[in-house]
Amino acid sequence: MRRSLLALRLLRRDWRAGELRLLAAAVVVAVAAVSAVSWLAERVGGASGGRAAELLGADRAVSSSEPAPAEWLARASELGLEYVRTAEFPSVVLAGDATQLVSVKAVEEGYPLRGRLQLSDAPGAPSQAVRAVPPRGEVWVEPRLLAPLDVAVGDNLDLGESEFRIARLVTVEPDRGGFFGSLAPRVMLNYDDLPATGLIQPASRVRYQLLLSGPEPALERFHAWLRQADMRGVQWRTPEDSSLGIREVMQRAKRFLGLSALLTVVIAGVAMLLTVRRYAARQVDRVAVMRCIGATAGEVTSLFAWKLFWLGLFAGLAGLALGFALHWLMLELVAELLPPDTPAPGWRPALAGWLTAFAALLGFALPTVLRLKQVPPLRVLRRDLGHDVFRGGSLYVAALAMIFLLMWWQAEDLRLAAMVGAAVLGTLALLALLAWGLVRGLRRLRARGGRQLLWLSGLTRRPGTAAVQIMGVGVGLMALFLLTVVRQDLLEAWRGSVPADAPNYFLINVQPEQVAEVRAHLRERGGVEPALYPMIRGRLTAINDKPVRPDDYRSDRAQRLVAREFNLSYGTVLPSDNRIVAGSWWGERPGSADSLSVEKGLADELGIGLGDRLTFQVAGEAVTGAVSNLRQVEWDSFNVNFFVMAPPGLLDGYPSTYITSFHLPAERQAALTELVRRFPSITVFDIGNILTTVRGIIDQGVRVVELMAGLTLLAGVIVLLAALQITGEERRFESALLRALGASRASIRGLARAEFLLIGALSGALAGGCAAVAGFVLARRLFELSYPLNAWLFPLGAVAGAVVVWLAGGAGSRRYYRGSPMRLLRGGGDA
Amino acid sequence: MHFTGPEGDIALFDGLHLSIAPGETVAILGASGSGKSTLLGLLAGLDLPSQGKVYLDGEELTALDEDARAKRRAQKLGFVFQAFHLLPTLTAQENVMLPMELTGVVDAGARAAAALAEVGLGQRLRHYPQQLSGGEQQRVAIARAFVTRPKLMLADEPTGNLDHHTGHKVADLLFRLNAEHGTTLVMVTHDRELAARCGRVLRLQDGRLEAA
Repeated sequence: MRRSLLALRLLRRDWRAGELRLLAAAVVVAVAAVSAVSWLAERVGGASGGRAAELLGADRAVSSSEPAPAEWLARASELGLEYVRTAEFPSVVLAGDATQLVSVKAVEEGYPLRGRLQLSDAPGAPSQAVRAVPPRGEVWVEPRLLAPLDVAVGDNLDLGESEFRIARLVTVEPDRGGFFGSLAPRVMLNYDDLPATGLIQPASRVRYQLLLSGPEPALERFHAWLRQADMRGVQWRTPEDSSLGIREVMQRAKRFLGLSALLTVVIAGVAMLLTVRRYAARQVDRVAVMRCIGATAGEVTSLFAWKLFWLGLFAGLAGLALGFALHWLMLELVAELLPPDTPAPGWRPALAGWLTAFAALLGFALPTVLRLKQVPPLRVLRRDLGHDVFRGGSLYVAALAMIFLLMWWQAEDLRLAAMVGAAVLGTLALLALLAWGLVRGLRRLRARGGRQLLWLSGLTRRPGTAAVQIMGVGVGLMALFLLTVVRQDLLEAWRGSVPADAPNYFLINVQPEQVAEVRAHLRERGGVEPALYPMIRGRLTAINDKPVRPDDYRSDRAQRLVAREFNLSYGTVLPSDNRIVAGSWWGERPGSADSLSVEKGLADELGIGLGDRLTFQVAGEAVTGAVSNLRQVEWDSFNVNFFVMAPPGLLDGYPSTYITSFHLPAERQAALTELVRRFPSITVFDIGNILTTVRGIIDQGVRVVELMAGLTLLAGVIVLLAALQITGEERRFESALLRALGASRASIRGLARAEFLLIGALSGALAGGCAAVAGFVLARRLFELSYPLNAWLFPLGAVAGAVVVWLAGGAGSRRYYRGSPMRLLRGGGDA
Repeated sequence: MHFTGPEGDIALFDGLHLSIAPGETVAILGASGSGKSTLLGLLAGLDLPSQGKVYLDGEELTALDEDARAKRRAQKLGFVFQAFHLLPTLTAQENVMLPMELTGVVDAGARAAAALAEVGLGQRLRHYPQQLSGGEQQRVAIARAFVTRPKLMLADEPTGNLDHHTGHKVADLLFRLNAEHGTTLVMVTHDRELAARCGRVLRLQDGRLEAA
């Protein structure tokens, strides 16, 4: 106790003397990064996690592509369960000439069984929580629907063949699905109004749900009963399932952000290594005095360990304050994507932040400081002793081990941790190596250049610290460049890869009898002649008569493909952007009617080859065909494409709707409004709008990551300042000496400025270069885009780096160049 | 007592015997490199002889481990160095408080203030070493050395870094406090004038001590 208080007093004195500020700053940045991410994840995750039943709107739900049959309802009543029915599907609403893709939800009286809707009377007005459904003839809509349609509460809109009055606004819909779940705004109407809209046609894509609530045993009995009947195409949903998707997205986002926070921690760790080394070196004499006046080695150890503990506690607290503020900012940035009722911030992230502080100090600072106990007390009489206490590589081993442990903790996965750890250390090592090489090159140049290359001398005199500075700042800048310039480049490249006349509209839910008329309408009014494909929903049930189940496959994608229904089609013409890679297309004269054409990726994923017999469940019947060819499909062409196609004959008799995509110039948009009026059950997807929304979501996410990169850069600047501090005594002495030899203060400052500009330019150019190469590789390997190396990143990086380092370095080093040379030369030592 | 240097081949002291009585003041003169400081380090238990024993206050210092010797230093020894060895980040008062804080003395602040007043620095408690002159810094060091009421005071060239006039005043202070506290003083110096103020003057030459 006594020692801890003494350590606290000594820490306060060290702090007053400015000894520990950079070390504390490094701790603050590290803690801020980890706690901000942790708070963000907890609150966004908690927005869905805590209220699972509300997310489902019920205790259980039965989801199907057909309305719940009467016997289900009878059975639910019999078991004393409350139930309501809902139906959800995409459609298009009209108001005047404006159209908008919406997500329609029809709800029965009693909805929601769990949770409450929040409604308001005008945008921005206060909301009330209610359990109610729209009265007949009225719709409740999401506020964001109003602007595109240019309507207000009280106005009318057309949905299918019916007209509705917008009565109120839905601000919170608990079972909406939240994160990334909702691209199109909601229109909610009474279940009884649904038939009159004429929107539900055979084979329309509708998701029906039977929401159930009641005692657990009754729910279980209903489930058991349901399982005896045919469960194909029917999904039994529990509250846990409903939050699963969100939880997965959150888990991934949290992992990614957590690892990027760790990048900051690692850089801050480098800063800690540097600052604590200097701090400890300055303590050697003091420890010798303390030992001499009676402190034992154990006392010295515990004093310094306590000092670090207190530092971690207080700097951690400051870091938590910063992290808390940052998480608010991040939360604001993604506010639109979140349910508005995020839970209050908890204490766990604070704990995580503090643990990070202590872990970082334990790994990066403590081993160095503990070496102080080896300082011999005799040093007070013999100055030559005790210089070598910090020698040896074990200090770095501890740091590396801690980096790895922190990675493991954030990634929650040993392999991922090892990979990310290797990538981070690899990047740092690469940057350090390049920096080292550059500095060595300049050094050689300087040696040959003489007087006119004097401005290089600041850098070349201290190659080690210069390399570390370049690396620290470089990593931060590289992260920022990747997130800003390279991301923008990749988006542009992707946009450029989509031809100007790529389809910008999709039509779905076209009924077979409407095909001829729709084709004629588009030809006459829109000037386009698109291919309309029949679309039949089927689920793969067997390969070569062997039943397939999701569990048979290891990859997530394969499991999903097997579990769900996908779209089959038939025709004689190979879609224009498809290419046969195995077997041959049947053309106008198929050899046999039961041939199948399978998309290459799907075939690879599920292990399907030429000649395999695939069985699909289509509208309750088994349909079997043999694979006669494999197709390569360009999915990002925006054309209609199918996993599986058949020649005419095999699938013709099954319920189908038609689908098409086409490019409609902006001046012909009226054709679509007319189309929607003529055929209300057809749904139009405006790809441009959807892409804008998706990009908006990505942008919001990226801004959060940019904040993290900003912290990384800050950590890099602390490394810079720490390295500057290490060379501080040297600079002070050099400056005094140069001035004693007749150099003006301005010329000495000029030399320092040149050094900073050079370090900044080098680290920036290096960061820009690495970011450009990373972008190039990402584009080629991951996104398969043709993207040239962005040469602009070099000069851009050099300028940005020079400015950052010049500002930070200038501010950090000013005091080394002040004061009279006489005093500086005499003072030396510890000042 | 024998002491062999770190390289092992140079014997500094050869059969050296020295006993100092309580309250005595002893000066050890010697050319630089003669081993004066090493001898002082051995007396303080900062280092161990390769052969021989050192007794402090009747207890064999050489039989104790480093931590126990540190405890004895805290209890019984005071130090004044040529280079002052004040901690630059602490004020004068905090520097004097430090040895008491290490042993957990309760009223360290007040006692440090009193000790500084005793050396004439009562007005400079909150000054940092770099704000003090050399003489003042050595007075702070003297206050730090006496504040724990040590039985033995070891001084290593206490005026070596000071000009003649200041050195003289600092020496006055050192001897005055020594007399007031009844402390045993062992001083290492090459300043004959200063050495002459001690009760006994010894010369260290070729590893042997002789009366000067």
